[in-house]
Amino acid sequence: MDVHLYLSVIPEALIASMLTPEEFGVYYAVGATKKARGQAIFFEIAPDFRHDFFRIEEGIRRCVPHEDGSPKRSIYISVYRVLECIPLDVIQRLYLVTQDGRVLGLESSEECPEDAGGLHLYQEIAPVHPLVVSTLGPREFYDLIVKSPTSLLSLPAICFVELRLGELAENPGRGAIRDLPYSNIGHLRQCLVDLRTKTVHAKMVNRIQPASFPYRTIKSGIFVGNEERLLYFPLPSQEELRAKHYRWWRSVNL
Amino acid sequence: MAGSQPWIFVAIFAGAASVGVAAWLYRWVHRQDAGSPEAQEVASWIREGATTYLRRLYLALTLVAIGLGVIIAIVFSFDIEHLGTGAVHLDPLRGGGMALAFVAGGICSAIAGYMGMSVAVAANVRSATAAGESINRAFKVAFYAGSVMGLAVVGLAVIGMSTIYLITGDPEIVLGFSFGASTLALLAKAGGGIYTKTADIAADLVGKIEVGIPEDDPRNPAVVADNVGDNVGDVAGMGADIFDSYVASTVAVMLLGVSIFAGDAALQTKYTTFPLILCTLGIVASLIGIQFVRVGENGKPGQALNRGTIVTCMIFAVLATAIVLLGGYNLGVLWATLAGLVTGVVVGFTSDYFTSSDHHPVVETARVSGSGAAINIITGFSYGLISIVPSIIGIALATLLSYYLTERSGMSGIYGVGISAVGMLAVSGMIVSSDAYGPIVDNARGIAEMAGMSQKVIDTADVLDAAGNTAKAITKGFAISAAALTVLALFAAYAEVIGARGVELSISLRNPMVVVGAFLGAMTPPLFSALTMLSVTDNAFKMIQEIRRQFHEHPGILAGTEKPDYAACVDLAAQGALASLVIPAFLAVVFPVLVGFILGPEALGGFLGGSIFTGVVFALLMSNAGGLWDNAKKFIESGEFGGPRSDAHKASVVGDTVGDPFKDTAGPSINTLITVMSLVSSLFAPIIAAFHLF
Repeated sequence: MDVHLYLSVIPEALIASMLTPEEFGVYYAVGATKKARGQAIFFEIAPDFRHDFFRIEEGIRRCVPHEDGSPKRSIYISVYRVLECIPLDVIQRLYLVTQDGRVLGLESSEECPEDAGGLHLYQEIAPVHPLVVSTLGPREFYDLIVKSPTSLLSLPAICFVELRLGELAENPGRGAIRDLPYSNIGHLRQCLVDLRTKTVHAKMVNRIQPASFPYRTIKSGIFVGNEERLLYFPLPSQEELRAKHYRWWRSVNL
Repeated sequence: MAGSQPWIFVAIFAGAASVGVAAWLYRWVHRQDAGSPEAQEVASWIREGATTYLRRLYLALTLVAIGLGVIIAIVFSFDIEHLGTGAVHLDPLRGGGMALAFVAGGICSAIAGYMGMSVAVAANVRSATAAGESINRAFKVAFYAGSVMGLAVVGLAVIGMSTIYLITGDPEIVLGFSFGASTLALLAKAGGGIYTKTADIAADLVGKIEVGIPEDDPRNPAVVADNVGDNVGDVAGMGADIFDSYVASTVAVMLLGVSIFAGDAALQTKYTTFPLILCTLGIVASLIGIQFVRVGENGKPGQALNRGTIVTCMIFAVLATAIVLLGGYNLGVLWATLAGLVTGVVVGFTSDYFTSSDHHPVVETARVSGSGAAINIITGFSYGLISIVPSIIGIALATLLSYYLTERSGMSGIYGVGISAVGMLAVSGMIVSSDAYGPIVDNARGIAEMAGMSQKVIDTADVLDAAGNTAKAITKGFAISAAALTVLALFAAYAEVIGARGVELSISLRNPMVVVGAFLGAMTPPLFSALTMLSVTDNAFKMIQEIRRQFHEHPGILAGTEKPDYAACVDLAAQGALASLVIPAFLAVVFPVLVGFILGPEALGGFLGGSIFTGVVFALLMSNAGGLWDNAKKFIESGEFGGPRSDAHKASVVGDTVGDPFKDTAGPSINTLITVMSLVSSLFAPIIAAFHLF
């Protein structure tokens, strides 16, 4: 049985496993006999990846089948500063796993989405996970946080997602909420209004926001970047998701 | 009776025609494509669960019927005309006849329920399969299957009542038939309601909330029990409920006909058989109206169902007018019939206003849900209370109009009130057909989901399902208002029966016995509601433990590599529902008799009055509030006020869970409760008139 390496971002960890990505996603989300459950996001990384910061060889040595022949599900190699130590060229596919274990694999794209203007809402996923609003598009936001920070706050690497704002992107004060499920919507509106009235590019909405978020609120896709480059994993359209990935789509829209 | 005898044969023939068409549709539905092996396997789980539950229910009911039948046979073998005079005269023929009529009522109701449910569990998979072809085909399969229930209910009821009346010529024996039907209806409705909500709540709380799996996901161990519940609660239970009201309203008017026209044999026969004639016309109208329920390729199922109901009502109105004019009946009965018919339709559509997401109450409840579950519940409950107003005004108007228009035409007003109930229920064939369609398409959607059928099937099933929810809301309002008028007529019949035994009833609030009786009666529907809802929570708690156990001990279930033990949840729901029926049944059947024997006929009169008033109010409140909470949640899920997983959605899920036993367990069972209590009071009235402690 092959040993796979996975970079989990909820929570941040480097894991060795004998499960395929789909099997690992199910296991990671719904658990085995233990009670560890919940939404999961992870990247499959190149199996030959090695780095001085991680004791990968030791992890792989421990990743052996159980006595009954069943595959070893997970060996945690590291749970600290993982994202910043993994070069983006070893990242292969991204997997979004729902709370009930439906797995969707996404390929990366060279093209970043165009910034159509308006205000933006970003959920940082790793290494920290505040909820932030910004006047900047995804690439500019990444630049601001990682590449060329203009404040004291910066990160060596980041995984984040842009969430839909609907009418609030253009009309934060009076735009209709519709299907935006965010808590404290009044506070979110105020933060967006503040962006328009103050000379800041980003404003924190919630500093202790859980890293998990409803997948149905993803605007375009997931971004992961370090000081060298930015990778973008676009989410297929709603129509494509419904037609080709119905189980995942339905679980997401529960 | 000789003059009206041909009409009784016509009624029996119409009943037979109705059952015949139901049987033909039954076979037609079974001839449709049952779909892929996967779909058939899922459908077989539901079918087996539903059949097992009904078998257990009917076994329990057989024991109850035997026990009550023996009691009735013994009690009514005493010649009640001479009770209390010191001499004992035995009339075993009458006692035996009454007991047989009681058993026949139960059997007819059971057959109608069984036919309806057995075709429903065959039609669900066939409708889902047909949805892959066209919406028109899928709708036709589901509606025709629902029509089996509707036509069987009215057909068997009319055959039973007419045959007993033809043989005995005594409406009091027909009252035994009605009592049998109502006893079965109460247990079927309450048991089905407890079953369906036990499974629904447990499946949602663990599946959706704890584990995060969608509705109808085959990994949920309670998913089959949930789908079985739709059939035993909404098909068999609602069918038995309408059967009971249909028969009770007819019998009440027959009893009133006997007592009001006691001085004129010809008039007595004419007006005793008149409700049977109305039932016959209702069957004819329903048979024609069903033909108008069609959808085109882009048609709307909801509009098709409404069109069928309206056409049926119009045909019935025309036929009733013709019969009254040509048959030389007093015009007052025509006004009463039409008042009942119009009120039934208006009250039904009013229920839709308060429970549909197209209107303000549901939208407003959804809007305020963002402020939390408490606000959602307070708002929904308040609109539920407001929803009582138009229905009560409708019932009051129907009562006043039918009473005074009949009085003005020179007849007894109370006879008119009874006729308005019959007029309302005469089109039950069509109403029940639309209602039974709902759970069939709901099941079809569940099967499509569980069997992994195509996107087109699921989309079509969604459209069909939305129309079913509206039909369900309309039927509930209709059933409750019909039950209200029926029990008013039964109350009058009770007074007449007591009066015929020489006891002058004075139902005055200055009489302490009446006040005590009214309080006890007013207490009964809330107590009954509490008992049935506590049964739901108790059984749901046990099922939640079972679902958690399965998920914990078998992690492969969630991973999709292991099949859940569906039968364990089906068994739990069935056992829990049946065991929970004992005390509510005692309350309905024994409590009124105890009040009568201990406190006397006036207290029992007060008891019936009290139970009618709180019963109608509670039934309307619970059914409408529950439907409103349900649709407020669905409205949010459709993408409004934050959509799924928003704070508003979480609050609305709490409201919906509170409303589940409101709308599907307690609410719809209350109308059967008050009918059973009125029937048992009327049945035992002669004995209570002779023997009471105070």
